[in-house]
Amino acid sequence: MSLAIETRELRYRAGKTFELRDLNLRVPQGAIYGYLGPNGSGKTTTIRLLLGLLRPLSGAITVLGQAIPREAPRALARTGYVPERPHLYPSLTVDESLRYHAAFYPDWDQRWADELVARFGLLRTLPLSRLSKGETGKLLLLQALAQTPELLVLDEPTDGLDPVVRREVLTALLDYVAQRDATVFISSHLVHELERICDWVGIMDRGRLVAEMPMQSFKNGIKRLRVRGAPALLGDTPFVVLARHYVEGQAETWIVRGWQAPMTQYFEGIGAGVQEVIDLDLEEGFVELLSTARTAPRGEG
Amino acid sequence: MFRAILFTQWKWARLPLLLGVLAAFGLPLVVVQPLPALFAEDAGASLAIEFMGSFGPMFPLLATVLGLLLAVSAWAADHAGRHVYALSLPLPRWQLVLYRLGSGLTLLALPLLALWFGALLATSMVDLPEGIRAYPTLLGLRFALAALVAFALFFSISAGTARTAGVVLGTIAGLLLAQWVLALVDSDLNLLGTLVEVLFVWPGPLDIFSGRWMLIDV
Repeated sequence: MSLAIETRELRYRAGKTFELRDLNLRVPQGAIYGYLGPNGSGKTTTIRLLLGLLRPLSGAITVLGQAIPREAPRALARTGYVPERPHLYPSLTVDESLRYHAAFYPDWDQRWADELVARFGLLRTLPLSRLSKGETGKLLLLQALAQTPELLVLDEPTDGLDPVVRREVLTALLDYVAQRDATVFISSHLVHELERICDWVGIMDRGRLVAEMPMQSFKNGIKRLRVRGAPALLGDTPFVVLARHYVEGQAETWIVRGWQAPMTQYFEGIGAGVQEVIDLDLEEGFVELLSTARTAPRGEG
Repeated sequence: MFRAILFTQWKWARLPLLLGVLAAFGLPLVVVQPLPALFAEDAGASLAIEFMGSFGPMFPLLATVLGLLLAVSAWAADHAGRHVYALSLPLPRWQLVLYRLGSGLTLLALPLLALWFGALLATSMVDLPEGIRAYPTLLGLRFALAALVAFALFFSISAGTARTAGVVLGTIAGLLLAQWVLALVDSDLNLLGTLVEVLFVWPGPLDIFSGRWMLIDV
């Protein structure tokens, strides 16, 4: 599997309270990789490390085959970046901002930029300081797309946008990916949004990568089971028990990862029975995974 | 890339730059206005020289203000965005700094030329008595050097982080505090005087700002 982004044993510390530890990311080329995590989990810090804006304490980063931060300019020339907070120069007009940005990217597609300006309904003469949040979000994505990058790194690109603008932005993004076979690394805490568009998912919590897998495996593998008659102590299980809740007089609720249908036989073997297997959506799975990761001793999860 | 960066810096600095150009062009013209009347009097030449000397500090002051404004405006927008945009552009940091420096120097050339032209025009309007000479080009060169030194100094501080600026301001505040404490204990040690001497007296780096700034002199 060829990788667009790879980090090995990455470590970074900001102040006394936040630390990114042993981060091993593997983003396949051509994937739409959803980088999930609660606020403050280290998503933006990871992105800034990937782009060479921050320097790691230790570990290695490779983006599009370039070692970061040493070869960051080469990687950045092939990467479109939409930051969490708008970073463009507010005194420039839309048109001036586009011309400024275009000057740095040899593969800038002016015709497509013009098309997107029209499609997004942006007024070229308007200063950026007077754009609404939605218009700013569209302009940021437009600039990243018109670079015709091989990799798009999007940090909460739709955060705070209304549903109409969010749909426009995501549609433009998916159109681009379909046409150019680009890799997308998109961070968000809006789990439902990523569920629709991503084919890979990485989950961060408190500076650690808790899980990384294809979206399909993640969605299919995490289940809620209703179990009756299970012993208090379990031996080896063919799946990972993330959580186990017991309510007096009712069936136990188990949250498990790595579930497959034939595994019901395991319960027969321990004298128990599965009454129900419930699919969890990504958000429920995400929440369960995080709560398990937080209660697990260090080094697990 | 350079043109794009030059354009942004022009956009950010155009108003103070325009005022700077007007001030630089107008200052020599204002300075020479009373000279014909002064030269008409007995001992007018010495009065005129004295008058020119009293206006002298305006030139290094203007050079400093221009250098400061252009240096600060070159980085202000990046500071506001915490340098994220600048650093995410696909060029090495040293190259970006060089482009910003080059753009600032290009813009700085406008008031420098304005002062030179103003000085040439001003001195051509006055009939000088014997023994008195005009120095428009030398004044223009000295003004240019002072403005370059001021721009370079403030550019290097502005290009740094807020922490850098804090260290510079903290050092100055520390010196002032130390001098105040020394004055309280009746010490003869003059920290500020020594510092000014080290900086402003040759071979101090800011020597260009001191001395006599005369458009017309003996």
